[in-house]
Amino acid sequence: MIRGPLVVALLLSFGALRLPIEAALTAQHRSAYFHQAQLGLGLREQVGQLGFLAALSGFRSLVADVVFIQAHIAWERTEWGRVYLLFREATTLQPRAVMFWDMAAWHMAWNASVAALHDPTHASDALRHKAAEEYFALGKDFLERGIKNNPDRPELYESLARLYKEKLDDHAAAARCYARAAALPHAPEYDKRFAAYELSFAPGHEREAYAALRALYDRGEHERLPTLLKRLKYLEQTLDIPLDRRIPN
Amino acid sequence: MTEPAIAVHSLTKVFPIPFRRARLVAVRDLNLEVAPGQVYGLLGPNGSGKSTTLKIILGLVSPSAGRTEIFGRDSREVRSREAVGFLPENPYFYKYLTGEETLRFYGKLCGLHGRELTARTNEMLALVRLEDARERRLGGYSKGMLQRIGLAQSLIHEPKLVVLDEPTAGVDPAGSREIRDLILDLKKRGITVLLSSHLLAQVQEICDRVGILAQGNLVREGRVEDLLAIENQTELILENATPETLAQITALLANSKTRLVEQRQPQTTLERLFLEATAATREKK
Amino acid sequence: MSASAHRSFAISRMAAITRTTFTELVRLKVFYFLLIFALLLIGNSLFMARLSFQQEFQVLKDVSLGAMSIFTSLLAIVATAQLLPRDVEDRTIYTILAKPVPRYEYLIGKLAGVLLLLALSIIAMSALFFVVLFTREQMLVNETVRGTAGLPPGQIEEAIRSLRASAFNTNLIPGIVIIFLKASLLASLTLFISTFATSNIFTVVVMVFIYFIGHLQATAREYWLQEHGAGWLAKTFLAFVALAFPDLQLFNLVDDIVAGTAIPMALFAKTGVLGMVYTSVYLFFAWVSFHGKEL
Repeated sequence: MIRGPLVVALLLSFGALRLPIEAALTAQHRSAYFHQAQLGLGLREQVGQLGFLAALSGFRSLVADVVFIQAHIAWERTEWGRVYLLFREATTLQPRAVMFWDMAAWHMAWNASVAALHDPTHASDALRHKAAEEYFALGKDFLERGIKNNPDRPELYESLARLYKEKLDDHAAAARCYARAAALPHAPEYDKRFAAYELSFAPGHEREAYAALRALYDRGEHERLPTLLKRLKYLEQTLDIPLDRRIPN
Repeated sequence: MTEPAIAVHSLTKVFPIPFRRARLVAVRDLNLEVAPGQVYGLLGPNGSGKSTTLKIILGLVSPSAGRTEIFGRDSREVRSREAVGFLPENPYFYKYLTGEETLRFYGKLCGLHGRELTARTNEMLALVRLEDARERRLGGYSKGMLQRIGLAQSLIHEPKLVVLDEPTAGVDPAGSREIRDLILDLKKRGITVLLSSHLLAQVQEICDRVGILAQGNLVREGRVEDLLAIENQTELILENATPETLAQITALLANSKTRLVEQRQPQTTLERLFLEATAATREKK
Repeated sequence: MSASAHRSFAISRMAAITRTTFTELVRLKVFYFLLIFALLLIGNSLFMARLSFQQEFQVLKDVSLGAMSIFTSLLAIVATAQLLPRDVEDRTIYTILAKPVPRYEYLIGKLAGVLLLLALSIIAMSALFFVVLFTREQMLVNETVRGTAGLPPGQIEEAIRSLRASAFNTNLIPGIVIIFLKASLLASLTLFISTFATSNIFTVVVMVFIYFIGHLQATAREYWLQEHGAGWLAKTFLAFVALAFPDLQLFNLVDDIVAGTAIPMALFAKTGVLGMVYTSVYLFFAWVSFHGKEL
């Protein structure tokens, strides 16, 4: 019966014909959505059996959600180690969910760090601060990797800026982050303002900050918000700007 | 000469048995012809190749060698089946369809639609006397009823040839009688019938010609009367014969080469007895 | 005898077969079970853990689209796997093919019946999904309006806009169409396998196997085409996987849709066409296999 071999031959030829088309489509997927979870053995180690099977059957996102809920529960129980691991799994499974990166960073840099600062098991204050700083670093890492996977989303830059501002006390870096956010299409309008504000708090960047704030002020009434006016006035004082160029009170 | 309804030329069918070097020869170098308007019986025990031959004629199976034709068209062409109706052995149809829906389905497969389809459906239901059960699902039909609806679907498109595989197998005597009457009715209308059966007594009375298959070979073929006639015997059936008349006949025979083999009272068959006895109950239904 | 000459491609014949196939499938118990399960899942997401509205909508979309995907994939395989064996066992296939019905029309009619079933199921589930989505969205909008009563209108608008953005996304609709096309690919492939399979179970098991391997096919393809260190045995194996199995990853656009990525229409169109090509080619293979099959 020649039927069998004929069918196999047809199947393989069809495979050969569609090979270039599929490769092109996959490449297009990749370029549009960077770093889609690679189904290699590394993934298996990272996400465990269930996650791997889910990725295999195309239900990554669903499993990521379940893992996320587990992370939430772990947070309620303040099991910080587990929170970290679960968020790592969730972000690996679904790197395009901005919320996962954001929440991960928040749990690390804002929640875990505070818990570390009040942790009675550490011998001294110095050790507690060190632990907190480690958590800041973990939070920063999540946001940076999140940005690598989603370079077109302003939310992550904004969160990173807040982290620099509130936890690492680095206003210059915060200003840069807000500026990168502002450069993206669909960015909220306040990003530009916040970049200028942060610059105004960064020592050594007063001139830059003044220029930026003044440029915004000159745009019109909608930019002349209380904070902007306050910072502008402050800088005018500090930089000793001539009176005829200052803004009215 | 008109072309035969069915022509089988040197048909051979061999089935390879997987995982063994052996082969099964189902049909071996078969030649036969069915003239239009005949009722032809393909007889033989189970496994003799009857079903395979029928399937090859209907294009469901392809021959290893030789060919078959229906009204001159090769069986492998789809067109050849326009003029054929088929009732397979022990058929099930779609259980959730009613009798009427089943016939309409098959009618559509034959290209019927609209008023013509409705008319033919009603006609067929009347012919096989299933009008009362037309709205009932086939899941609730008895075996005999399934057989009758099967016959109806095979006739829905007014075919010139009908092929029946074991039409009376598993059917009770009353139903079997009805089916045989239907076959005779078809013959009266000029429709050719090819049937296969291993219930020899039942088909004896309706077939014009028979072919007997054994292990794929056609061992006997011809008209029923010719085949069944015990050549050197004659049967006389007398009514109101007095003993004196009988004695005279016996005396007559004594002086010739003719030998009286048997003298007895003819019997009715068990079947006829059964049908007569149950006729009353059947009428009531 | 019917007056019309025999047409070699008759829609009416195929439509008759489609209709009976569809009616038969709708009575399959497994269909009802799966459908009710999927509907329950989608409806239940109304009550799932409320974390924040973004999280809630994400979970709702993931669960609903995931349920649709798995339901249609499973149904496509299970429903199609028993079509041919059932007809052969009941001998109804003889009565159909003894009529002037070409075998390819029989196959097309059967597949069309399954696709009709899948399409209607997806429409039902999508309808429920959108109702749930819009209901939740409306409830949350009302809550937000009440909660932001004192704030400047610009901020209220911003809040509502961001809420709506995380709810309905126009990409959802082409995404659902792609889910349907993936299921139709699986149905067509199942039909093909069933033409030479020895039993119903065999077909289902093989298809589940193919489903998993299909998601790895892209990786196998890349390793085969790029990996230089692998031996010839490994390469042959990878080549076989790349050529013989469909690439099912390409049809998993759901993850990115839920994450809010903007997917260009051109990509949807290409994926859609690929799905239709797959379905047709596997149907053709089914015909090649079934064409000479001894019944």
